[in-house]
Amino acid sequence: MPGPLAGIRVFDLTMWMVGPWASTQLGALGADVIHIEHPNVDWGTLGAGVPPRVNGTSIGYIAWNMNKRSLFLDLKTAEDRAIAHALLKTCDVFLINMRPGVAERLGMGYEQLAAINPRLVYCSITGWGGDGPMADRPGADGYANYFTGFWSVNGRPGGRREVYRHFTQMDGTTGLLAAQAVLMALLARRRTGRGQRIDMNMVQASAALQATRLAEFLASGNAAEPLGSAAYATAPDQAFECEDRLYVGVSVTSEAEWAAFCGLMERPDLMADARFSTNVERVKHREALAALLEPVFRSKPQYYWMEYLGRAGIPCGYPLRFEQLRYHQQALENGYLVRPETSGWGRIYSGGPPWSFSETPATWTGTPMPGEHTWAILDELKVGAPAPATGG
Amino acid sequence: MVELVEGVAGPACGLQLGDAGADVIKIEPLAGDRARGWGPPLMGDTSAVFLALNRNKRSIALDLASANGFETARRLLAAADVVIAEPARLPDAALGYEAVAALNPQIVYCAVSGFGPKGPWAGLPAGELPAQLLAEATASLGRPGEPPVRAGADLGGMYAAIYGVQGICAALLARDVIGRGQRVDVSLFGSLLAMRSTLWGAHSNPDEWWGFHLDSYVKPPDHGYQCNDLPIYFTLARMDADREGLLRDLDMEWVREDPLFDQFITDNGGGGDRYSHVVHHLWERAFAKFTAAEVMAIIERNGGITFPMNDYPRFVEQAQVQHLGVIRTVDHPGIGPVRMVAPPWTFSGTPAEIRRPAPRLGEHTDEVLRELR
Repeated sequence: MPGPLAGIRVFDLTMWMVGPWASTQLGALGADVIHIEHPNVDWGTLGAGVPPRVNGTSIGYIAWNMNKRSLFLDLKTAEDRAIAHALLKTCDVFLINMRPGVAERLGMGYEQLAAINPRLVYCSITGWGGDGPMADRPGADGYANYFTGFWSVNGRPGGRREVYRHFTQMDGTTGLLAAQAVLMALLARRRTGRGQRIDMNMVQASAALQATRLAEFLASGNAAEPLGSAAYATAPDQAFECEDRLYVGVSVTSEAEWAAFCGLMERPDLMADARFSTNVERVKHREALAALLEPVFRSKPQYYWMEYLGRAGIPCGYPLRFEQLRYHQQALENGYLVRPETSGWGRIYSGGPPWSFSETPATWTGTPMPGEHTWAILDELKVGAPAPATGG
Repeated sequence: MVELVEGVAGPACGLQLGDAGADVIKIEPLAGDRARGWGPPLMGDTSAVFLALNRNKRSIALDLASANGFETARRLLAAADVVIAEPARLPDAALGYEAVAALNPQIVYCAVSGFGPKGPWAGLPAGELPAQLLAEATASLGRPGEPPVRAGADLGGMYAAIYGVQGICAALLARDVIGRGQRVDVSLFGSLLAMRSTLWGAHSNPDEWWGFHLDSYVKPPDHGYQCNDLPIYFTLARMDADREGLLRDLDMEWVREDPLFDQFITDNGGGGDRYSHVVHHLWERAFAKFTAAEVMAIIERNGGITFPMNDYPRFVEQAQVQHLGVIRTVDHPGIGPVRMVAPPWTFSGTPAEIRRPAPRLGEHTDEVLRELR
């Protein structure tokens, strides 16, 4: 059974992560994503060359270009531009992440392409928006992370604020929201019969990811202080050390869960304590509540708490690492970690499709080599030979 | 669209569809969405989180345990294109996928869960911290062996919401082809795992065991580079960065005598580079004599790239943020002006708009019931 986007074709003129991650999602959903590479591509600089590399290629390139086909085109030549335009007539979606103005110079501006194909959904992604005082600044994941305050709400209680040490979250978020916007525009096209232009930028996407914390700041006027594992707006909602010195995370987020939690703990006194009578009171007295609960959690091992909290319907979990996760039943049964075969780099671990569809399943496949599908795609188009590859 | 969910993930999913123009009807229990009480801060008696996640929706309060309330929910579902539900927290199995699909075969049923529809943890209710812990998101903060530190942003909930919107839109497109709706499952755990794909890839037989897609999470906490007032970020990764000029302008010729100079001189800064955590203190010793603005000017002049490390108060004051309209003010009757993050997309043909503020509990009960007649 094909995926939900079977029949949708994407012209993917993207590089690094933010754009390629958008088209990776569309490809997993069943779209025919055609990723454009320059025929003189230098494999060492793919994915910005960021280590670690696998067989000499940055893992970034491999991880961000799954679920696609790859086509060599040199858009600075008239021949290849003609191929691109022929291909674009068969496409539903155009994706680009380059600085403002670059698309137009390549003959790939919105007006230019809408004239060729009025049904085309055209999505442009930039770091800082199409105009304004920072429009020409370089865009990258880290820059958006620091600029938008994503780093500023993490850290140990009372300690310095700390960066989330896995770059790609801002790139990835912007890519996810771009893919979402493309899907919305494809839905709108059913009604209007026309494509449209979508503009995405990393500042607004990163802010959208932080909508809850930003809302709290905008209401209170205060920058949030780091709370370790504790939640800002709910309590008790944090990790506790257990008897075996392992940790268990527990999230009590409603009054019903609080009652169940006190029952489980056999602590009716907590239920009766005015300091803990509502979530708002518990958040105000978070430290006092934690001080009462810490010895309780230290009296039993981690697996006890997982069993008992789960039995009472209280959200709970414990920290895992990759070496456990890759064999973990919960990840594997749901297809959340996969290991597809790639064309140039062997089997590569990746997150799998995060959606499961009952009727039109999504699939996560490997990464093509740059230009791998050039002849196949040109054959489908029947428009002549590509520029000869001289790189790689 | 009908929303049978509380908290962050499900309501954020409904929020985005509502921003994009869907008519979202939020069915709330008589006690209201639990997130109404998530604070402080509250505005009036409602949390800032709830107000931000529930604009562009109408609220109907129903007791699903009563025959009347249940029947009303069924009639809403019979007429809906989409429903968002969290099966582990549904009060009644008759609101599960099979029953709803029997009632309305065209419906797209988006099931949000903590950990996915299968596996030993399938029935556990969703929680942000549990999902972050299990997906090892917390491994990117703090130190190994010390108490976990969570990502302050609601990463699991927001990613599940975004993936939920994608799944719903894709299923609505597929409905035209296959002629019926379907069930789409998303989870906080699965969404977090998908968003850490670069790390999983980095663990796949790499050529070398370093690089910020591989070893950054065993490095010590990264606080940026503190100047004498504020922290900054910088990178010298650009080819034309003039390191000699930097040493001169930052008045740090002394670093040539430091035993770590060999690592220092190959360091590109930025916190994620091979030796950045080793030589971090050398940069900060130099930066301590200057303000953040001065350090950024010096580094940019010498071919580096810098950005301020903003907290939220500084972020919202940035000229570019104001230019883009990242923050919008929405008037809420009874509360007054409420500031929140705008929809992140700009559509040329079908613009997203904030049409109404978050509803009071059950505010539209009569209106929605009238429409059902």
